[in-house]
Amino acid sequence: MANSNYFDVAVIGGGPAGIAAATAASKEGASVFLIEREARLGGILKQCIHDGFGLMRFGERLSGPEYAERYIDLLKETAVEVSLLTFVADIKKENGEFKLTLVTRAGMRVITAHSVVLATGCRERTAKQVLIQGTRPSGVFTAGTAQHFVNILGNMPSKKCVILGSGDIGLIMARRLTLEGAKVLGVFEVKSTPSGLTRNIAQCLTDYDIPLHLSHTITRVFGEDRLTAVETAQVDEKMNVIKGTEKIIECDSLILSVGLIPENELAEKLNIPLDRKTKGAVVDQNLMTACEGVYSCGNALHVNDLVDYVSEGAELAGKYAAQKRSGTPKYIDVQSDASLLYIVPQKLNINSDLSQVKVYFRSSSPVDGATLRVSVDDTEVLAKRYAHLRPPEMESITLDLSQAKNAKAVNLKIEVKK
Amino acid sequence: MNFINKIEKKIHESVSPLIKVSLENKCVLLEGELPSWDAIVTAGTLAVDKKHSLGVINNIKLTGFEDVIRKPAVEDSSLDGTTPDILIIGGGVVGCCIARELSKYSYNTILVEKGYDVALAASSHNDGDVHVGIDLHNGTQKHHYNGRGNALYDDLCKELEVSLQRTGHTIVFYKNWEAKIIYPLLKLQSKLLGIKGVRFSPPEEFKTLETGAPSWSKGAAFMPSGAEVSPYKLTVALAENAAANGVKISLNTIVSGMTTENGAITAVQTNRGTIRPKLVINAAGVFADKIADMAGDRTFTIHARKGTSLILDKKCQAYAVTSMTKSPFSKYDGEEKRVEDAKKHTKGGGIIHTVDNNVLIGPSATETPYREDTTTSKEELDEIYNKLKKISEKMTYGDVITYFSGVRAPTYEEDFVVRKGLFCKNIIETAGIQSPGLTAAPAIAQDAAAWSIEILGNAKKNEAYNPNRKHTPHLADLSVAERDEYIKKNPDYGEIVCRCEEISKGEILDALNSPLPVYTVDAIKRRVRPGMGRCQGGFCSPLIVKMLAEKAGTPLEGIVKAETESTILYGATKIGEEVGNGK
Repeated sequence: MANSNYFDVAVIGGGPAGIAAATAASKEGASVFLIEREARLGGILKQCIHDGFGLMRFGERLSGPEYAERYIDLLKETAVEVSLLTFVADIKKENGEFKLTLVTRAGMRVITAHSVVLATGCRERTAKQVLIQGTRPSGVFTAGTAQHFVNILGNMPSKKCVILGSGDIGLIMARRLTLEGAKVLGVFEVKSTPSGLTRNIAQCLTDYDIPLHLSHTITRVFGEDRLTAVETAQVDEKMNVIKGTEKIIECDSLILSVGLIPENELAEKLNIPLDRKTKGAVVDQNLMTACEGVYSCGNALHVNDLVDYVSEGAELAGKYAAQKRSGTPKYIDVQSDASLLYIVPQKLNINSDLSQVKVYFRSSSPVDGATLRVSVDDTEVLAKRYAHLRPPEMESITLDLSQAKNAKAVNLKIEVKK
Repeated sequence: MNFINKIEKKIHESVSPLIKVSLENKCVLLEGELPSWDAIVTAGTLAVDKKHSLGVINNIKLTGFEDVIRKPAVEDSSLDGTTPDILIIGGGVVGCCIARELSKYSYNTILVEKGYDVALAASSHNDGDVHVGIDLHNGTQKHHYNGRGNALYDDLCKELEVSLQRTGHTIVFYKNWEAKIIYPLLKLQSKLLGIKGVRFSPPEEFKTLETGAPSWSKGAAFMPSGAEVSPYKLTVALAENAAANGVKISLNTIVSGMTTENGAITAVQTNRGTIRPKLVINAAGVFADKIADMAGDRTFTIHARKGTSLILDKKCQAYAVTSMTKSPFSKYDGEEKRVEDAKKHTKGGGIIHTVDNNVLIGPSATETPYREDTTTSKEELDEIYNKLKKISEKMTYGDVITYFSGVRAPTYEEDFVVRKGLFCKNIIETAGIQSPGLTAAPAIAQDAAAWSIEILGNAKKNEAYNPNRKHTPHLADLSVAERDEYIKKNPDYGEIVCRCEEISKGEILDALNSPLPVYTVDAIKRRVRPGMGRCQGGFCSPLIVKMLAEKAGTPLEGIVKAETESTILYGATKIGEEVGNGK
């Protein structure tokens, strides 16, 4: 089907999710078109030169580029058509198929696809989105942008910095900048518990004597040209600044790791409903969105803390996207109470296979000795004990929910014995 | 009692008896020292008497405050000994409009701007409203220039290839009595002021006309002559066109003093040497009174008034189609008393659909002694958010992608000072420019040019003058076929650098090949808008830095954000040094 403009599956995004989805769809025999905006595949992994990737998938500690390389090698064995430096300007559903308008260096191109996999990743929340005030100097970076400067462009954005937010990229950058000779004066986290993985707190902060200030935030930046200082303050349980606790710290940069937002602008163009909690699409057990034929995976679906989960989920999405759609989906809800931060999938298609439903979830707060209880309507189908559950650490579980076929809803909750 | 004694009495009674009030050069001069800026502003306001004086010169010092001007880092002699016909001071929309107007003639014109680019102060920190002028008073310069300026906008924007949206402005009525009583008065006012097309839009129709209409709307006054423009893109376009037609634009150039002889300027000192112009045009914004003072022509005082505005994600573009404000005559139910915006000299802020399809909310108004204070604070943000949330009911803080403050340059008379010099023969003042200064600028420029000809004489037409500025359009707005044609000519148009605003590498490189290229990240932002979207440059800023460095032939650390000292990068990493700094 070379140079044709019709594909069974179009995968948007050539990061770990997109590569895995495209490979999986191709293995199912589908013709696949993989769209990547940048000049190279790999997404954000390209700049993640630290190790720790692939422990689950490969049982090895790989760097980001190495992990990407493994999947790119698998992709190369398939007939997937890869289009780099390609931007999706528009997406429309017409007669049950999808029309994608692409911007490429060779010109505009319009392709049609039977199914679409959204693997568009996420973006970082910015300083203004966490309402930092003051001047507008240079020296305010999101952690990912700082990482791009250091690891891709090989240039230092800071000599002496303060980090706001204990998200994983912020922690990784604290270590990275320290190793490159910069002074990291401290990591400030507005919540009373860290946002990043426990292992990253230990390996990136503790090991380098970088202080972590919980229940603290940055309120203002100073400096007319380059940033010269930041104002920190303590916050109460409601995360409001406690007056009188403000302190000025002299530094040349503020690096922000204050959350990731799934990129779902294309999903919104298709009027796909999003989950308020995950900020990703609402999907069923096959990772299909409410728009039939559109699948979502990776960080566009929900922000994952391990790339291994991204690949796993994306393979599912790719596999199902490659299958011919038959029958009308019939949905029931997967619900939870406040003990869970979120669950994916949010719906079950009871006209599809229910015997091996992969469920991803996070607890709302850190709990020890907790039990996850799953019930179909009022019948409990599973009770699983966890020694610890932490909001930054996503959990996954495969459930046989066959008996949900005639049910109204599936319920999940986490119970802690007092 | 003469008017000076009356003013003195008022100031002594309500501000401080320590203030010295006198008449000098037909101006009301205030001297002394006070510990409160608000008190100083109040004194200035009380000193206004347009009938008997030319203006207020408020020289009251604020205790412990030093009026510092930010200066460019460079110092050289690149302008030393130059003898232009005309020296324009200030690269805002007014200065650049005048520069372009004068480029129609064969005068040797130099425009100096102390910042690293044009459009750095109020001209990039405003709402972009091309005003209707319904709130202005007959007999004021604001009214005179607003009406004329508004009418010039369509041709101007067409010539410069700058987008203009004439989607109209609306005043929304909260109470039925406003629709019944206020609207007819507004209609009458519009006739008196010569504003065309004002009509009442009943509640049901208003909802279809304005998708962002508040639920409480009792209809609105629809004013079709209201429009929107990108103020910074327009200013850059004016400067580029002026430069293409022969005006020399010298950035990073600050005027530090003037020499006058027999009521005429003979020399102007700058950080780049002494200029000896035949005529000086003062378009110095918040520093216009300082410039006028150097020329001995000061009859006014600029008191900085800060305003904060919020910008919402493009996803919220349906929150406004027009530029919407609430009728100021009613108070909201449950509110103790209505906010008297008129006293704060603001129209109270509005909900504006910008030409770039964002929604802009604001601005607020706060008096400040700092003429270049563009800092924001949570209080200012909350003030404008909470107030305008009542009009834009769907808005949440989550919709906000960025916010900014700008500083207006009003006089105490709250009117423009657009005139030939009164005490200096070879200066033209274009001062006190605040809202509706953007609208007024093209008309002010016409008068400034006419007066220049009057003063200098022997005006020859610039035979090579070309009013048209060719500009690459925002390709994402074109049809697929048109866009394809562009890309076929230059593949860089097919490489998207800024994903949020959908801007290609080709469009960015074009901005660097213009008659006024400025190699900083923020200058590129103002020209083509990469980094102005929801990720605020998170993804594209490293790419922009790299592109700028490659084009300029400098290392990455040579590229700054804005002014010379606004370093972004400090140099190669340990590994970067070995592999050649990411190249």
